[in-house]
Amino acid sequence: MNGGPRLFSILRQGPYLIASIHTALDDSQLVRFQQDLVERIGSDRARGVVIDVAALDVLDSFASRTLRDIGEMARLRGAVTVIVGIQPDVAFAMVELGMDTGRVVTALDLEEGLAELDTYAAAPPAPRR
Amino acid sequence: MRSAGPEGAAGRTVSRMAAVEPAATPGGDRGSADVAALIPLVRRIVASRVPDPATADDLVQETLTRVLAAAGRVEPGMLEPYAIVTARNVVTSMWRDQDRQRRHQHRVVDLRPSEAPDEGVLAREDRAAVSEALTRLSDRERATLLAHEVAGQDTRSLAAELGSTAGAVAAQLNRTRARLRVEYLLVSERVEPPTERCRPVLLAISSGDRRRQREVDAARHLLECDLCARLSEPLVGRGRSRDDAVRVAVRVDADVVAARQAAREIATRLGFSATDVTLIATAVSEIARNIVRFADSGEVVVTELHEPRTGISFVARDAGPGIPDVDQALQDGYSTYRGLGLGLPGARRLMDEFAVVSETGRGTTVTMTKWRGEA
Repeated sequence: MNGGPRLFSILRQGPYLIASIHTALDDSQLVRFQQDLVERIGSDRARGVVIDVAALDVLDSFASRTLRDIGEMARLRGAVTVIVGIQPDVAFAMVELGMDTGRVVTALDLEEGLAELDTYAAAPPAPRR
Repeated sequence: MRSAGPEGAAGRTVSRMAAVEPAATPGGDRGSADVAALIPLVRRIVASRVPDPATADDLVQETLTRVLAAAGRVEPGMLEPYAIVTARNVVTSMWRDQDRQRRHQHRVVDLRPSEAPDEGVLAREDRAAVSEALTRLSDRERATLLAHEVAGQDTRSLAAELGSTAGAVAAQLNRTRARLRVEYLLVSERVEPPTERCRPVLLAISSGDRRRQREVDAARHLLECDLCARLSEPLVGRGRSRDDAVRVAVRVDADVVAARQAAREIATRLGFSATDVTLIATAVSEIARNIVRFADSGEVVVTELHEPRTGISFVARDAGPGIPDVDQALQDGYSTYRGLGLGLPGARRLMDEFAVVSETGRGTTVTMTKWRGEA
């Protein structure tokens, strides 16, 4: 099964990775995305990750959990994760669903997300020392 | 309607045994000479059993063909016994066929409707129309449709090849079928649409997509265009029966996406706000996932509601192990599979009405409804 090439892309931009999801993913594709991304953080020695989820039609409990897990795994691998592109309707549904979105950093769009990563790189937050 | 013509009648004369020219049959030089020497013998054997000379001739031909085909495999001295046995077998199988035919004749004779003289021609025209309609699709559409309908390839593996998702492929297939129906009607009527509005209107009707029908103002066009009014008759019936309830089989992860996309499409068509559509799709995603996780297979049936208000309702059914304690499963944070424990309680919060019926060992049915707010 080659779910990789078109469903999502992970591109390198300086010390950061930009991961874009291109279409609605099902659960196993999300897991595959998570594995690929965490691997790339190591192989590319990335310091930050921007995940663009604008193309996801819904962020249900599994998708939210997966994104939260990615953020946590990336943190353990020494990278900061910023989620960008959550659509207003999707945000509304997530709140209604009662999702605990945890400590994942979010930004409005890709530009804001990269700016956010830059501030982290300039002054790493306390927990990461 | 065209007249049958001579070829219609010709197709119906059936010869029970095809005459075979021995000369045309491939065989070794040695084989054909030896077999030719056996002709008087075979003729004698057959003639002693079959009185009718014409039938006897047929059977001799049949026997010689078989012997000739086998000549290479038979040991030199054994060709004669082989021919004798073959001749007897051919005669016996003819008797058996005749006997079978006699015993079953009463079944064929009366049950078979008399064949209209133009039937063969019509069937041929029908096939030609379908293949002509197929050529009017794009290469990619045609390839995907044929792979799915003819070769039986499922949407998942097609999606993997095309780098798409199963839900997207299924939607594409539906659009392709809708186009094929339209093109087929145009080809078989031998007409070109008189205006450039005709095709989009017919397409919207064929796909049963009411939102699209509104966009192209289909109802008005049907009043204006006689051709489309006539052509759309068989299409309208289809669309209506499909609209009321849509069933999505749920077995694998990809089906969860298909279910929520079906929900999204129908809710949008019913005029739900974009926010509500996302809420509905999220809830459907949760209950469809439960089917995949806990039962081997199930289904989600989407129904449009028009009374007392416009709404959309879902019935998610599975024949899985059932939920032992429904009240507990409806509490936040109760999870059996490392999820967030938000599946059922979350879906309940997103919908207006929500009910779970479950019987251990028999399966679970979740029914949920969302009413459209007055915009």
